[in-house]
Amino acid sequence: MSRRGLKYWAIFKTQLINGFAYPGDLLARSLSIIIFLWVFLFLWRTTYRAVGQERIAGLSLRDTLWYLMLAETIVLSKPRLSSTIAEAVRDGSIAYLLNKPYNFLLYQLSVGLGDSILRLAFNALAGGLLVGLTVGPPPPLWGWPLTLVTVIAAWLIDFCIAATIGLTAFVTEDVAAFEWIYQKVTFILGGLLIPLDFFPAWLQAVAQALPFAYTVYGPARLFVEPDGGRFVTLLLTQGAWLAALGMLLALLYRKGVTWLTINGG
Amino acid sequence: MPAIRAEGLRKTFVTRRKAAGLRGSLRALFHPDRQTVEAVRGISFEMEEGELLGFIGPNGAGKSTTIKMLTGILYPTAGQATVLGFVPWEQRQQLAYRIGTVFGQRPQLWYHLPAIDTFYLFGKIYELDDRTIRRRIAFLAEAFEIEHLLETPVRKLSLGQRMRCEIAASLLHHPRLLLLDEPSIGLDVVAKQRIRDTIRRMNELEGVGVLLTSHDAGDIEALCRRVIIINHGQIVYQDKVSALKRRYLTSKLVEVRYAHQVPRDFRVEGTQVLKIGRYGVKLRFDTRQTPVEAVIARLAEAGNLVDVTISDPSLEEVIRTIYQEQAEP
Repeated sequence: MSRRGLKYWAIFKTQLINGFAYPGDLLARSLSIIIFLWVFLFLWRTTYRAVGQERIAGLSLRDTLWYLMLAETIVLSKPRLSSTIAEAVRDGSIAYLLNKPYNFLLYQLSVGLGDSILRLAFNALAGGLLVGLTVGPPPPLWGWPLTLVTVIAAWLIDFCIAATIGLTAFVTEDVAAFEWIYQKVTFILGGLLIPLDFFPAWLQAVAQALPFAYTVYGPARLFVEPDGGRFVTLLLTQGAWLAALGMLLALLYRKGVTWLTINGG
Repeated sequence: MPAIRAEGLRKTFVTRRKAAGLRGSLRALFHPDRQTVEAVRGISFEMEEGELLGFIGPNGAGKSTTIKMLTGILYPTAGQATVLGFVPWEQRQQLAYRIGTVFGQRPQLWYHLPAIDTFYLFGKIYELDDRTIRRRIAFLAEAFEIEHLLETPVRKLSLGQRMRCEIAASLLHHPRLLLLDEPSIGLDVVAKQRIRDTIRRMNELEGVGVLLTSHDAGDIEALCRRVIIINHGQIVYQDKVSALKRRYLTSKLVEVRYAHQVPRDFRVEGTQVLKIGRYGVKLRFDTRQTPVEAVIARLAEAGNLVDVTISDPSLEEVIRTIYQEQAEP
């Protein structure tokens, strides 16, 4: 690896070590996925019983729960990127983040990856155990690696959106409102609360036309019903969104740096 | 070539004012009440390579904003500057390899990790190889007397210990210029002295130039040969520290406490009594006319001393004197 690449690897590794400084936080987070999935389990069990069908919109109860398990894992493992950037702008520590010889966005990317990987592992393990023990075995093993690839792409798309929101702090300082909106949009149009398949057709079409579905729904849906064609389509769509949002982010960053005002004298 | 050359640097911030409460927030959203703050108003100066230059001024004078423009983090509203031949805000990354920075109020070491982890990380970020990093850490650990602190999580270090680690970290990549923004803030006298000694040593050993900001005139007096005083975003004084001392840091304040009551007509030769309390007295004297030891001896003769504090006039007082001089030449 080149020295330039090595520095981002070192940043990633340091954040990974840093993650172990908070074992309590890691465990608490895995606990929250168990609670969420437990609630979902009762909710959907009742729903399926009430409808009286084996499958709703092509998904069985087992599919739905494994879908939700991956969706929750993805969302709960995300780094708190927007608010981290906003906080750094507010308390002035951005000064340190900007005067080191690295690309600020790649730095955030490396830190974010180091932050997410542990959580992803813990959440998947905790959530998988619960769902596996209550509704039955996971989807076929051969789909897992394909899913993992799309999870990484989903993570990157989310990174672009969250970083874009975070960068608005260079001007507005506070990003809580944007963050809140993004979170709620992910809940519904991202498919975090309900698989998009259960939506009316027009709403599905709206969701599919926006990037949020590819940060959660795409990988989770592929996971429960792995399919080569579905994988390729998803990955291409993710790639297109990634290119567009990545470009927007890079552009915004170049502009944003000139607008930056720093607090603390 | 000078290490820093700044010409007419200006920085204007536009801040939004917001009235309290939800109504205020909503109004600010649609009719923002913008306010322009001129943090730096045309600063010009030069700094030689390897020089120890002090940059002092009260809080909010524009010191940090100037430093942030010189490191390239902030874009100036107007004016020009080169640092080690680079235009900081256009060549921030190239410049970053050659300068070190410490912002006293903001930690750069990772809070939950031992300092050594951040040292290694910085080594990688500055693209040093492992052997160089190891050697450099060993050297700095000895110079800053932090060998025993490196393995302790930073959050468990005292402020003085942490600051020594912070400065050591900023020197890891052999910078030619060190920008220290309030490195002694919040430190006790002993810790301050230690930091000053180490900065001076590194300047002598490696010839690293140091631009130091402080609101404590003592830092500058102990370290720098030349000083720039800035107030309200402008340079009000720029000369050798010896000249500053000769002209403005000539008086000292003494506060004494006695074991017995002080007579109302208390006088000490060569001093001016400012305040007489029941057991204590506050005096001012001019060091050019009355040496410190003479004052102390006379105070001791006058009664049974319990406590003595000697202090310099505050920076605000010095600046006031400079202003008065400028107003009435």
